[in-house]
Amino acid sequence: MRVETADIIIVGAGGAGLRAAIAVAEADPNVSIALVSKVYPMRSHTCAAEGGAAGVIKSNDKLDYHFDDTVAGGDWLTDQDAVELFVNEIPKELTQMEHWGCPWSREGDGHVAVRPFGGMKIMRTWYASDKTGFHMLHTLFQTSLKYPSIKRFDEFFTTDLLVEDGRCGGITAIEMRTGQLRTFRGKAVIVCSGGAGRVFPFTTNGAIKTGDGMAMAYRAGVPLKDMEFVQYHPTGLPGTGILLTEGCRGEGGYLLNKDGYRYLQDYGLGPATEKPVLKAMELGPRDRLSQAFWHEEKKGRTIPTKWGSVIHLDMRHLGEKLINERLPLVRDLSRNYVNADPVTDLVPVRPVVHYMMGGISTDINGATTVDGLYAAGECACVSINGANRLGSNSLGELLVFGARAARHAVEYVKTARPMTDAAATAQASDVENRIAALYKRTSGKERVPALRQQMTMSMEEGCGIYRDEVSLKATCDVVAEVRARFKDVALEDKSYVYNTDLFQTLELGCMIEVAQALVVSAIERKESRGAHQRLDYVQRDDVNYLKHSMAYYNPNGDPRIDYLDVVITKSQPAERVYGAAAGGQVTA
Amino acid sequence: MSAATTDTANPRKPYVRPISKTSWFLTSARYKSYMVHEVSSIFVALYMIQLVAGLFYLAAGPEEWESYLAFLRSPVVILLTLVGLVFFVIHTTSWFKAVPQATRIMRGEEVLPGKILVTAHYGIWAAVSLFVIILAWVA
Amino acid sequence: MTATRTIQLEVLRYRPEQDAKPFFQTYAVPVEDEWVVLDALNYVKDELDRTLSYRWSCHMFVCGSCGMMINGEPKLACKAFMQDYPSGKIRVEPLSNFPIERDLVIVQDDFVEKLTAVKPYLLPKQDKTVEQGEYLQTPAELKKYKQYSLCINCLCCYAACPQYGLEPSFIGPAALTLAHRYNTDSRDAGPEARGDLVAAHEGVWACSFVGACSQVCPKDVDPAGAIQQAKLYSALNFVTGMVKGDK
Repeated sequence: MRVETADIIIVGAGGAGLRAAIAVAEADPNVSIALVSKVYPMRSHTCAAEGGAAGVIKSNDKLDYHFDDTVAGGDWLTDQDAVELFVNEIPKELTQMEHWGCPWSREGDGHVAVRPFGGMKIMRTWYASDKTGFHMLHTLFQTSLKYPSIKRFDEFFTTDLLVEDGRCGGITAIEMRTGQLRTFRGKAVIVCSGGAGRVFPFTTNGAIKTGDGMAMAYRAGVPLKDMEFVQYHPTGLPGTGILLTEGCRGEGGYLLNKDGYRYLQDYGLGPATEKPVLKAMELGPRDRLSQAFWHEEKKGRTIPTKWGSVIHLDMRHLGEKLINERLPLVRDLSRNYVNADPVTDLVPVRPVVHYMMGGISTDINGATTVDGLYAAGECACVSINGANRLGSNSLGELLVFGARAARHAVEYVKTARPMTDAAATAQASDVENRIAALYKRTSGKERVPALRQQMTMSMEEGCGIYRDEVSLKATCDVVAEVRARFKDVALEDKSYVYNTDLFQTLELGCMIEVAQALVVSAIERKESRGAHQRLDYVQRDDVNYLKHSMAYYNPNGDPRIDYLDVVITKSQPAERVYGAAAGGQVTA
Repeated sequence: MSAATTDTANPRKPYVRPISKTSWFLTSARYKSYMVHEVSSIFVALYMIQLVAGLFYLAAGPEEWESYLAFLRSPVVILLTLVGLVFFVIHTTSWFKAVPQATRIMRGEEVLPGKILVTAHYGIWAAVSLFVIILAWVA
Repeated sequence: MTATRTIQLEVLRYRPEQDAKPFFQTYAVPVEDEWVVLDALNYVKDELDRTLSYRWSCHMFVCGSCGMMINGEPKLACKAFMQDYPSGKIRVEPLSNFPIERDLVIVQDDFVEKLTAVKPYLLPKQDKTVEQGEYLQTPAELKKYKQYSLCINCLCCYAACPQYGLEPSFIGPAALTLAHRYNTDSRDAGPEARGDLVAAHEGVWACSFVGACSQVCPKDVDPAGAIQQAKLYSALNFVTGMVKGDK
């Protein structure tokens, strides 16, 4: 088997992976980097982030305000040391992006402009019209081309981490265009593989977001933290789940039920004012907005369509000029996909799965419980998002923690002992045998698309915006059944060149592990907090559950769930306050 | 066949679709119209030759100039000149249409709308034509 | 949910391990009116033929993965709506002008190399530390290059460009446009700092302004415009260089 070597191997070339690669290259140009990704960097899902990235820069803002918004937004399940560090570092990271050429939208005097975002007390979200993630990704990718120490392996599908005695020494990855397995040996591995929204059927997430990195680390013994917290974005297009940014509401869009009524005022977010008020109404946090939709649907006040119930996003009063300047992608998507022009029409929307607050458990340096193994970005859980992420904190997170993990890894590799050849070879050949067996298997009756559909539909039914013991147990059983039946899947395509049947099969294997960790963590958390809402335990329970869930892999059954204390430094758990009581300012 | 995971043989065999150097433009309507447009510039070139030739005849003396004028009056040449005029107009309009793409003028915070640029070009064209016609009239 | 109609989806197949050359395979696909061609391909993949390979991810015209020839036009499969193909027959092929790796998957190494070669990153006019804050850029300065920064690298423009098909050394629309994007950024040191690849024979001067790239661009980036502007700059630069007696 061909072996590649590098000091640091980065899995995933989206925002976090590219930021990490550049940080390594800048910290020490002599540290060699292998940047391994199953897609070309510019296809990574960071490109789909629209609204912006929050960072304190304006004179009316304070780091403490961003800290408070983030901690309260996360329903106090955030680690406050991590949040403090995050809000401190993000303005520098965003300025660094500016220095690399990111086309941030500007004020008249040439300074970077900010827009309002949900759950944020002050306008602090930097944006590049409504294509912020796209511009950040391309800026990072194009900038990364400057550094000779970054060697890219585009379209290499990472299958496993190589771990010996609690120390990570590389990965195995399939070169997608030859089908050949390769070993990548290194002293540190940074997993930046993104989220796992595809374990649900309706999601803003692209096809590639199948939780591969999460599953890889999980199988290698690293716990997945707080997996039960799944963010539904309040405004996805029905059917396709395509994202319409929170910026629509930040700029002043309304959410209307079937009677044309701004129903959010019935859910503690009012009063309904004409101009948007920060932390109120449509600028409330995503969990509250998605939950309000669920209640409206139960009351029969949503609009039924062939793609499920919808409510309306009304942007007509914003005017064509503003929409063209600040929300051009939203206009393009709405006109094309639902035949509604936001300038003149109401746009049908509904909550769809958007983001995983949980992920690979790391410390504030991105380090995991396995030496030399780091994680950053959506696949990781540093715990700045807690039980509910505020919109525009994720683009900042991938920069801050991508760079931090990288710098820490650069220090780590100076003294790290490499993995032994014997162990690396043995583990790589196990992977080789496993894939060869998958190719040879002919008796399988199970089909990947059918299993995937059965599992994802069950996740939506039993593990959605609201859950209870019965629904979760039912989903848990389905996931366990799918996991058992997955062993009986045979490839229908036995070729080696760009075999997408093979990759979808491997991805489904990852999705099943992630789904199981998610649903079992949800069953065990017998309280309601942030995005995890239990109909049978409606209150937040700080006595028993002011703790992170830690799911440990079990090859033969449900994961073991353990708990880890939340880090609280200066903000004691309190009520989350939105609407009039939050005292937010009018934005415009 | 060898196992997926050994690299004894590279199974890649990228296929390059042939492109004809001589008939590529027949593969799409867009290319065809581009080629017709390009080829039609021959008529524009012919007219230019005719015009330059006129200068030489003018320099050679009145008799030569008269023979040149007689040549211009022949029906075939009039037809060719008319055809040239048509293509001249087509090429001029397509050139004007491309102007906003090739020049980007900022006016305050906005890019100057292409329509204004194109209209200005037509305006100048009309003004110059008018001037030439008046000149011809007076002369 | 019942499909509103059934279409014939003709897909150019090429499996290098068993086919000497590509061939068309037709699938009967029940489709919904709201679908895009990508949804039809996903139907084939899930229900009819697991061996069909193609790239896709975001389904919202921003990742640039699913560029392909649809009835002869380079398009994103996620932006090709069923309603625009009433005839009931849709022909799908890999992007023209690129080698076929497998089925609808093209080899795009050439583009990535060319993109790298044009130095598509900011070469600051003035050095500034992060602590010194952002470079100022007015909305007008931003607007000057913004359109050219919208390229998603889907490669539809390369598939439309006859020049690239005939002369593969041509740097091509997207890469030249991205060079122009940085060259016209007020924060950037400009074309001189970026080197003369753009003005070289295989750069902007290889473009004969067919304009097809701009017509097919799914993001309205207008690469043809960017290239003509770069030509104008390069020509003026040449003339002023002559006048100054540079060479």
